[in-house]
Amino acid sequence: MACRTVCRTLHRGFASSPAVVRPSSGGVHGQRSAVFSREQARQRALYPRTEKIEVVLHGPGLHGTLLIMNKGVSTPHSCARHLTEWHVKSSALALVDGEPWPLHKPLIQSCSLSLLSFKDKDPSLVNQAYWRSCAALLGQVLEDAFKDEYSVELLGIPELPVTSGAFCCDFVLDPQLDSWNPSEESMCSLIRGAQQLIHQDLPWESLEVTPSVALEVFSHSRCKQEEVEEKAAKSNNGTVVLYRCGDHVLLSGGPLVARTGLCSQYEVTAIHRLGEGAWGLHRRAQGLSLPFQLEAHHTVWRKLRSRATKLVTMPRESSSGAVPDLTLTQPPAPVHTHPPAPPQT
Amino acid sequence: MRLTLQMLISHGRVARKMGLGPESRLNMLRNILTGLVKHERIETTLGRADEVRFYAEKLIDYAKKGDTDTKAMKMANFWLTVLLYHRFFLLVSLSYSDPVPSTLFCFCLPDFYEYSWFFGSSSYFLFSLWFQEKDLIPKLFKVLAPRFEAQPKGYTRMARIPNRENLDKAAMAVLEYKGNPFPPLQPAKRENELTLINQLLKGYREEQAQQAAAMVESQ
Repeated sequence: MACRTVCRTLHRGFASSPAVVRPSSGGVHGQRSAVFSREQARQRALYPRTEKIEVVLHGPGLHGTLLIMNKGVSTPHSCARHLTEWHVKSSALALVDGEPWPLHKPLIQSCSLSLLSFKDKDPSLVNQAYWRSCAALLGQVLEDAFKDEYSVELLGIPELPVTSGAFCCDFVLDPQLDSWNPSEESMCSLIRGAQQLIHQDLPWESLEVTPSVALEVFSHSRCKQEEVEEKAAKSNNGTVVLYRCGDHVLLSGGPLVARTGLCSQYEVTAIHRLGEGAWGLHRRAQGLSLPFQLEAHHTVWRKLRSRATKLVTMPRESSSGAVPDLTLTQPPAPVHTHPPAPPQT
Repeated sequence: MRLTLQMLISHGRVARKMGLGPESRLNMLRNILTGLVKHERIETTLGRADEVRFYAEKLIDYAKKGDTDTKAMKMANFWLTVLLYHRFFLLVSLSYSDPVPSTLFCFCLPDFYEYSWFFGSSSYFLFSLWFQEKDLIPKLFKVLAPRFEAQPKGYTRMARIPNRENLDKAAMAVLEYKGNPFPPLQPAKRENELTLINQLLKGYREEQAQQAAAMVESQ
């Protein structure tokens, strides 16, 4: 594999795209997934004997319910399976001892658990996790969408509040595609790709790893390795959390929801150009999605979608950093996510 | 008329029978309506609450005409009365020289006496004892009528409650005039402002408001 990459770089004549020098995307994803599985198996093997832990459930109608689960094997998802089908279908995130916990992450000690869904009294954590998950799905779709000869590099998922109207994923395409602009058909094919992933109902598995393992996973991508280093520096105990969905392994700024099947209405609304950056021509793909419990009427959806085509910026980002010069449907208007005036309803 | 089977079957008949007959029904409804005007929220059986609703709303319509209107005053006088005893026997002694206490007759309005016996030196009379609620008539005209000035109809609200605990397990209902001072029967359900779709719509509304403000400024 190393030979092939060297040959490719020689063939390109050391083209100026230091972000990605890699073989076919299928091979890369397979390799990343293999490393992920290996690390997952290793972490599972840390608990050879079945030890029991006590999990106290909290929630409407569940106060104080005690479950005896297996240490290092049982996940909040398996706790939900002990309750009812509704709990399994509707829970998107779990709260273990007060901290957000992905639904498929194993529990390692006796704790208190509450299952969060989209229709709770305060679903802000779940909303944020859902936004992140939809952006991660968008990144996965983009990675798969292009032909193998064109490289796609995901730069990261900006943490946007839900009120900004759309989730986004920053990415850099192969330099050969610098002049490419997405057409209607390409947007439709992206949407179709996303709907296929949603239909497959793939779970988002999470794994907490040391930075060295994460660097090994992303060995082909310099940009991702930098992101790993950044995250490791920011985290409390120096570990990095990886998420895997199907074949793709990715990094995220926070917990993701349980599975792709939770989304129902999903559309990729726009791809904006952000201008030249560190890794090439930065682009921002935006989308809009709603979970299956909160589906919108088509009139409402159309209004939200038209808002999601406009470029979204980070709350404290200066507008000079993001220079949009091409959009799909209409020229973007700057969106201030924290307006001073109260909403007039 | 001919005694047909159709007379016994009551398909399609909407008029309810209550009590002992039509007059008894009206008396009963009068009592309930007086209670409703007095307390503004009462609990009765389902059928009675449904029947009273029509009369309660009609009474408000009459009250809206004002207390100078003769018809409205007659209606208020008729309806806001409570029947305490119906057809009770009053023993009146005729042979004694003591007069029947006049106070009793002040309150009694004998609207009919069916028959009286002469049983020795005394006689029995059948009376109905009515009790006119004097303070409810000003309440009707001065409190309830202005309250519903702006509404054309729909002054009452009915809500079903669990069946009565007695052997009859009667279906019960609460009937109230809107705008009463008590806490609401069914508190209004507010949608959760923090769900994902509501947050998106909130952002959308704010952006629309901003754009409108920007348009106004630029003009």
